[in-house]
Amino acid sequence: MSEYSKDYTIGEMMTVLMAREVKDTDIMIVGVATPCVWAAFTLAKLTHAPNAIYHYIMGNTFVFEPRQVSLLYLEMNTARAYRFQNTGECTLESLPSDKLTTIEFFRPAQIDQYGNTNNICIGDWNKPKIRLPGCAGIADFSMFYSRGSFLYTPRHDTRTFVPIEKLYFISGVGFPNGKPSICGGVGPQCIITNLAYLDFDEKSKRMKVASIHPGINIETVKNSTGFDLIIPDNIKETKPPTAKEIKLLREKVDPLGIRKLEILSGKEREELLDEIIEKELEMENRFPKLLHYN
Amino acid sequence: MSLEEAISTYVQNGDLIGIGGLSFWRKPASACREIIRQEKKDLSICTFVGGIEVDMLIGAGCISEVRASFVGMEVFGMAPHYRKAVETGKVNISEESEASLALGLKCSYLKVPFMPLKGIIGTDFPKVRKDIKQFEDPLGSGTQLMALPKIDLDVAILHVPYADEFGNGNIAGAVWLDDDMAKTAKKTIIICEKMVETEDIRYLPGKAQLPMQTTDAVVKIPFGAHPTSCYPIYTFDPLHIKEYLKTDFEEYRKNYILNKTNAQYLEEAGGAQMILNILL
Repeated sequence: MSEYSKDYTIGEMMTVLMAREVKDTDIMIVGVATPCVWAAFTLAKLTHAPNAIYHYIMGNTFVFEPRQVSLLYLEMNTARAYRFQNTGECTLESLPSDKLTTIEFFRPAQIDQYGNTNNICIGDWNKPKIRLPGCAGIADFSMFYSRGSFLYTPRHDTRTFVPIEKLYFISGVGFPNGKPSICGGVGPQCIITNLAYLDFDEKSKRMKVASIHPGINIETVKNSTGFDLIIPDNIKETKPPTAKEIKLLREKVDPLGIRKLEILSGKEREELLDEIIEKELEMENRFPKLLHYN
Repeated sequence: MSLEEAISTYVQNGDLIGIGGLSFWRKPASACREIIRQEKKDLSICTFVGGIEVDMLIGAGCISEVRASFVGMEVFGMAPHYRKAVETGKVNISEESEASLALGLKCSYLKVPFMPLKGIIGTDFPKVRKDIKQFEDPLGSGTQLMALPKIDLDVAILHVPYADEFGNGNIAGAVWLDDDMAKTAKKTIIICEKMVETEDIRYLPGKAQLPMQTTDAVVKIPFGAHPTSCYPIYTFDPLHIKEYLKTDFEEYRKNYILNKTNAQYLEEAGGAQMILNILL
């Protein structure tokens, strides 16, 4: 194990924590417009999980080799898939399968203490204050995974972490009424945020603090959560990224910083987006760079 | 057949239209621009994941209902006209997941009223979808299931890289729901980048995922998916998507849609430099 990095952003911390969830035997679902997840999976491939397989939702294609994260050329990453004939059937066959898909990260707009999530609307569904883009496959997949579902959000605040009555629409199933779903999945495993690593109490299935990130105060975590978290007597500190993880992430996995589009907001994000577009349009070879282990 | 003729012949006001592709990828954008030019009204749009094409159709007032598992602009943000139309009640939503759409089309070709899914159970979908229902396995296993209804499309509009003049269509990349839409819709319009011979289709991987007997019209519109992608020829145009998001829709419609041929559209959208930008 190399030394812990002293120079990392909170977004990099989250990406590294997500990568650490991946097992060498995993089939990793990469959605659309989730570069943080993609970067995390690619980092896992380059470190402890070289045999994990990408399952790109961009075609339900299966890809073995890792390539750099890309904004414009996602299809060129999936083009070298050994299966590229996705149809509606491929979506359906993936659902209850332990062989075609094993790990997926969902990013909820809202989440309650039992890990139920909302990506549909803020306010009443019939006349929403904000209509969100939708839940895509979360309503289908969240209750199925035998290895559980994995959650992340870079916005740990009381707008995201809400009491049950303020969760406007359940579009992803956590532990309804404190019990695992009747559909057979084991339920959400963790929520990786910009402040902490949260998981669920084995008995009550309520959300609990597993560790807080270095430099973060437990009071901040409490005040940023709209319900009572279970807080253990001895609060652990999250293991920060290693120097090697940070170097791989910055230099090999995602040198353009596309993952940061999920973390930044406002003007800073707009500027980064323009910079990424400009650099990618300049690329002559539009196959994102093939990456090799070490 | 021209695009104008295909849309005026096969798309009627009030139809349920299936749109192929996903998000910013392989969307029949040229056909959507033609629908806007012809001022079609009251359409229901069914698509796996909607992006700029759904947003444009809503901006132009062509749509009264959306059936999609997601409508957004990927890393570029929310779909502005979609969002506003839902928030102000101008457009109805049939809340969908990926499986509800995939199974709905499957019902249609199996000619069954519903398909069971061991999913969606535990979500709030049943509260807003009066046409879905949880039930117990009638064969006695005790399993709880969700019944999801059939989706019968009036028209499917699909953009593909290759087709022959008879309507055999080949998709090089992901097929998504396109093949199910083609085989279940009452009428299917294919827009292709390149017209090839049937012999060529035989040697393309996947062959004719859209076979000619399910195709009613095939139209050649090079770069017709722009500003979305058409693998393996070009990717989506991020600069145009940004331009769309910062332009008032009436102005956008005037600049890029009304009275524009495909060549004029491509010229307005950046011409040769734009094409060099997006070519893979």
